[in-house]
Amino acid sequence: MGVKRFRSAEDMNASAALLVRQGGFERFLRHCARYWRLAPRVYPRGVVKFRSIEEAQRARAHIARENAQRLHRRCAEPE
Amino acid sequence: MEGASPPLTPPTPLQVALAALGTAPCPRYPVSVDRDEIVRVLKALAEEGVQYILIGAAAMGFHGLVRATEDLDLLIHPTAENVERLKRAFRRAYDNDPNVEEITASDLLGEYPAIRYYPPSGDLYFDVLTRLGEVASFATVESEIKELEDVPVRVATPLALYRLKRGTVRPLDHHDAEALRQAFDLEEE
Repeated sequence: MGVKRFRSAEDMNASAALLVRQGGFERFLRHCARYWRLAPRVYPRGVVKFRSIEEAQRARAHIARENAQRLHRRCAEPE
Repeated sequence: MEGASPPLTPPTPLQVALAALGTAPCPRYPVSVDRDEIVRVLKALAEEGVQYILIGAAAMGFHGLVRATEDLDLLIHPTAENVERLKRAFRRAYDNDPNVEEITASDLLGEYPAIRYYPPSGDLYFDVLTRLGEVASFATVESEIKELEDVPVRVATPLALYRLKRGTVRPLDHHDAEALRQAFDLEEE
């Protein structure tokens, strides 16, 4: 199906995710590469330890927030 | 180390400033996912005989549900021998990165069931888990073998991923769980 029509954005968002029958992981890698080109991240390096998944997720959210702010500042710079 | 990680080779202030402005790549932070690197890591895991299950968005990718992620999630068999195999695999994949020595069995089998490894190169990091709260472990998560360039990769099944994701607090996990449920006609439990 080349084109799928929706009566609203809500309908579109509620539609089933595209299931790739072949080469899903390769597509995943390409998608991650695009994502990174659009929004390059900055990470620390090394090993960080967490007592729980929740703690790990909070740390992830903190770095995501820092990256979002950094990218926002970059976009706000006058050309 | 807990809560913070020093960089391997600190960049100069000029490099940091240029990278932050997006006008130049910082040498420590490459800006594209390196497919070969991921294959190299998966191959090292296989060759060292690491007992792991790939979970998370990368596992969803193997099943054909594609979304971007920043990490590869590895649920590992919680034994000291397996942690040593994992360390050998990371050393092999990342040119003997000294940070790998900070991964210890005593942590992963004890007070720290989750560690995050940021390798010295590349854009993905690794979440290594020995248990997921009280709900799941290597022994209880159903998995199957997939292949990438003849490298066997043990991946959580769609149903296992659905079970892992539906009970968490992250909205993104709920979205993933719903996508899995719809794609694979999974029943609400």
